[in-house]
Amino acid sequence: MNQRLTGLLALAFASALPAADPTPPPSQPVIIAPDGNANFRVWTNATGRKVEATFRGIESGNIFLQTRDGYVYRLPLENLIPEDQKLAQTLKPEGLGIPKDPGLAQAAAVIDKGVLMGLTKAGQKPNPLASDEQFIRRVYLDLAGRIPTREETLAFLNDTSSSKRANVIDTLINDDGFSSRMYNYFSDMLRVADDAQKAKFFTYQEWLKEQLVKNRPWNEVVRDMLVADGKLLENGAAGYLLRDRGMRLDNLSLTLSTFLGANVSCAQCHDHPFADWTEKQFYEMAAFFGASEAGERNRAGGALRGLREELGQQAYQQARRLMDVNSLSIKDGEKNDLVLPADYKYKDAKPGDAVKPKLIVWGKDDHRLRCYQNAENAMKKADDDSAMREVFADWMTSPDNPRFAMTIANRLWKLVFGVGIKEPVTDLDDPNSASNPALLHHLANEMVRLKFDLRAYMRLLCNTQTYQREAVTAELAMGEPFYFPGPTLRRMTAEQAWDSCVALAIGDKVDNFKMKRADTYAQVMNLTASEVTVDVIKEKLDAMQAMRKTVAGFGFEGKGKGAAKKKRAMAKAANAAMETDEEGNFTRPETMGGLVLARASELRQPERDDHFLRMFGQSDRQIADSNSEEGSVPQVLMLMNGDAQDVLSSRQALAVATAEKQESAQAQVESLYLSFFSRKPSADELKTIYADIEGGMKPGDLAWVLFNSREFVFVQ
Amino acid sequence: MNSSFLSTDPVSRRRFTEQLAKTTLGVTLLPHLVPAADTAPGIDNKTMPGFGKAKNVIWLQMIGGMSHIDTLDPKTGDSKGARDPIQTNADYQLGGYLPTLAKEHADKLAIIRSMTSKTGVHASGQYLMRTGYEQRGTIKHPVLGAWAQELLGKSSKTLPSSVCVNRGPEHGNGFFTAAFSPLPIHDPEAGLQYSTFTASADVMSKRLALLNKIDAPFRSKFQDSNLKAYSDFYDDTLKLLSSEDLNAFKLTDEKEEEREKYGKNKFGQGCMLARRLIERGVRFVEVTQGGWDMHNDIDDAMEENGTIIDTAISALLSDLQSRGMLANTLIVLCSEFGRGPTINSRSGRDHHPKVFSTMLAGGPIKGGTIYGSSDKDGSAVADKQTTIQDFHSTIGHAMGMDVNQVVMSPSNRPFTVGDKGEVIAEVLA
Repeated sequence: MNQRLTGLLALAFASALPAADPTPPPSQPVIIAPDGNANFRVWTNATGRKVEATFRGIESGNIFLQTRDGYVYRLPLENLIPEDQKLAQTLKPEGLGIPKDPGLAQAAAVIDKGVLMGLTKAGQKPNPLASDEQFIRRVYLDLAGRIPTREETLAFLNDTSSSKRANVIDTLINDDGFSSRMYNYFSDMLRVADDAQKAKFFTYQEWLKEQLVKNRPWNEVVRDMLVADGKLLENGAAGYLLRDRGMRLDNLSLTLSTFLGANVSCAQCHDHPFADWTEKQFYEMAAFFGASEAGERNRAGGALRGLREELGQQAYQQARRLMDVNSLSIKDGEKNDLVLPADYKYKDAKPGDAVKPKLIVWGKDDHRLRCYQNAENAMKKADDDSAMREVFADWMTSPDNPRFAMTIANRLWKLVFGVGIKEPVTDLDDPNSASNPALLHHLANEMVRLKFDLRAYMRLLCNTQTYQREAVTAELAMGEPFYFPGPTLRRMTAEQAWDSCVALAIGDKVDNFKMKRADTYAQVMNLTASEVTVDVIKEKLDAMQAMRKTVAGFGFEGKGKGAAKKKRAMAKAANAAMETDEEGNFTRPETMGGLVLARASELRQPERDDHFLRMFGQSDRQIADSNSEEGSVPQVLMLMNGDAQDVLSSRQALAVATAEKQESAQAQVESLYLSFFSRKPSADELKTIYADIEGGMKPGDLAWVLFNSREFVFVQ
Repeated sequence: MNSSFLSTDPVSRRRFTEQLAKTTLGVTLLPHLVPAADTAPGIDNKTMPGFGKAKNVIWLQMIGGMSHIDTLDPKTGDSKGARDPIQTNADYQLGGYLPTLAKEHADKLAIIRSMTSKTGVHASGQYLMRTGYEQRGTIKHPVLGAWAQELLGKSSKTLPSSVCVNRGPEHGNGFFTAAFSPLPIHDPEAGLQYSTFTASADVMSKRLALLNKIDAPFRSKFQDSNLKAYSDFYDDTLKLLSSEDLNAFKLTDEKEEEREKYGKNKFGQGCMLARRLIERGVRFVEVTQGGWDMHNDIDDAMEENGTIIDTAISALLSDLQSRGMLANTLIVLCSEFGRGPTINSRSGRDHHPKVFSTMLAGGPIKGGTIYGSSDKDGSAVADKQTTIQDFHSTIGHAMGMDVNQVVMSPSNRPFTVGDKGEVIAEVLA
């Protein structure tokens, strides 16, 4: 903890003391503590001031006490009266131990209180706190996107400090793994794919990664995607709209449901059967994009027509591809050209009628909000329609938009708890039908208070007691509200499982390789010459050819016959020597048994459909939020007999090699349990396994068993 | 230690797996009777023709947009392609690239020449053709094989009820459980992926026994349906691996000359694999063939793809007929859309969803039927407009599913087989 904070804390405690009253005012409920801690007692300092608080721990001569408002105070232990000093030495710390800073502890406590109120109302109780073993595995998967290595687990379990949970959260939230994890989440949500519109969307991918690495506020990231201008090759942010070129209605439908939880997909074709959206309203929203033009493919090819003979058939086809890629560009014209569809069947307008932009509202007072006022003023002032996209983007990503902050807050809640407070996360039309509406509104406010800082928000969620409780063991009934006595049991996502396999194979070096394709691709493909001549084209085609050769195996090569075989051969060849640059980063990923051992975020987007990732449920990136967590026969065949188990049950894998180095059978088994399950085996488990070891079972066999167990793929 | 579990002789393999199943899974490998499709209760339209007569479906999906004018709906005017239509053994003509189908099988086929859709984009067109629903970014719809598993039950105790050949498992279970997803066969030659243990049978049975023991406490701690489903998938997988039915995936069991009849390419061999799978209890097999996006030089491309499908589908029809399986196996030939009447500047044809054709054969299909028609150029529907929803409803009905039965998705939205399309009784007997 830094000096400034220490000072602040001391001050806070001093000022809190005189105000503290050993008996709470009668209006306050006595039973519910802010975060569920029960053992309040009155602490007294040397000057006779009293404070009622729970004991959170002692560190470096300071005592940490949490008052009923959730605030955690820090005070030199010697300032307390001798009896209390003595007591503190014997007490077991309550709750989560020492938090990183008092504001965070208080914010987390308020969330816990909100959860507790929901639980109490439903007549339910929170689960007990999760063990350190459960916590470390869960928090690594949630924040680093993979299980901890054996060494990382041991370091945490052997750490005796009271602040170790808060510390590990802070470490993970600032690591590369966090960006990778969030990228996986958002690329599923946004359908980020290598291939779309006959082009590679590498610039979009790397732009998105960069935003996450820099931790740019979410509202700014989304706004950038909606207002992006220019070529995909020069501005990655344009990828969001260009992904759906020619399908602007579909794109809008997804924009509204993804970022605002507005359930409008039906209104695209007819008035919404449940919610209030009409087809007309949908078109009025679409009109904000009515002046935006995404370059047309055919027009781009036109420049080539005269060169066909001279180029020859094959080069001409390649050149057309080149033109296609260069045609992916977006800019705003002056006039919104949107009209109602030919099958429009409602009485309020006719098919073919021009549509003027108009914002949807959720409540009757919404239009008084600043974001609506600003939009109205901007539209009044505008001379033409060229700035409508910006008007929409400003409105949508505004902190006072009724749904924008709430939607991302609910989505990220689901990411770490397994279920949203409102389900589905794409439908927030009626937040009051959420399992805990007050909590949902509070989280939306927190997102705004934290200025859309996603790391700060995730850090907050992970610091709650609710997050750090045991997972729910009862079956969640479909359609029944869930009140969060703890997180749910979750199957690892495809990316978590794959990245965990990579960690088991190569340890904590998983983040050393970063896929970089955008710069090369953009440089080679970008056609900037003012005139398209045969020479210009030929030069570009040569560069494309060279690019395919040098970067083959990293997602550039075609999907043609034998591509997978070639990839395997190449991966095997690369196995021998791992190349690194001056900074020690891999310039090529490590490979084993034909598998490229890089994070899911640094592989093809999405992977080929016979890859571990896809077979384990990675989205095909056609449908938003379509990662699957369900099993299937082909998936189980792969877990039992596929490439990943082959690598992980061999001594090539670090986890197995490390186990084999241990001298006793017990140490070998323990080593593998720590690697795969982040815990030591129980006495019973050891006994069972010993019997098999005597029968000739090898560490590699045990690795296979642990890998195929439900305890491995499910996160408790 | 790459011992091939499947190459050991069948008797010892079966003994081993029976042993394994008894010791670790608590299941006995007995032949189970598969519930008949027509036991589904309370169906109103049972009396309509063709209901439930298609016990199995082989769904042939042409990827890229198959030109109707060059295949199922030939024209003689300006829109005619490079080849002249062929007079068939029934009272109609077929495109010049399909000589064997025309001369030997036309009397078994029903062709719908008045299909129409609004989707001219490949991915969403394929989605619509597979599911009968428009693609939305928000919900996945099931394919007919998954619908059948929901409404009619599993078709086999050991084999999956649906298989898709030459494609991945996307467009599958839709909003139903992942267990209804078709089992993908990426390459018919290679068969079922990962069906060979990478350790010896002895080591595998020890591993599985230990897995069962040490994972038991975790499994009993959580009452979670997805967790339980996983345990079931392990059971199903072991059942499949230990079953004789696994041989269904092995084309190498077929005589070389029989295999050549289908054409030694992924589609031809896929069709043969489909026949083997249907024979052993798989209900719904999709085989795809790509290369139909013929924007350029359509004559060359048609010659290649036309020959492939003409050979494979002809062989399939003959094979099913000689095995007495044609009467309860429905063959479906379809594509996401057709191609336009105009030959473009690159000697190709462009996307054309406004009118196109599909083909049905076998099961309750009335052979030699032409249903509906396109106009003179093949550019618009002239008669009996048929939607993809109608097409799905007809097939679903033939499979024995009540197209009026409403099933709620987990998001509580109502869905039916064929999205309220109409069953085309005229093609059914």
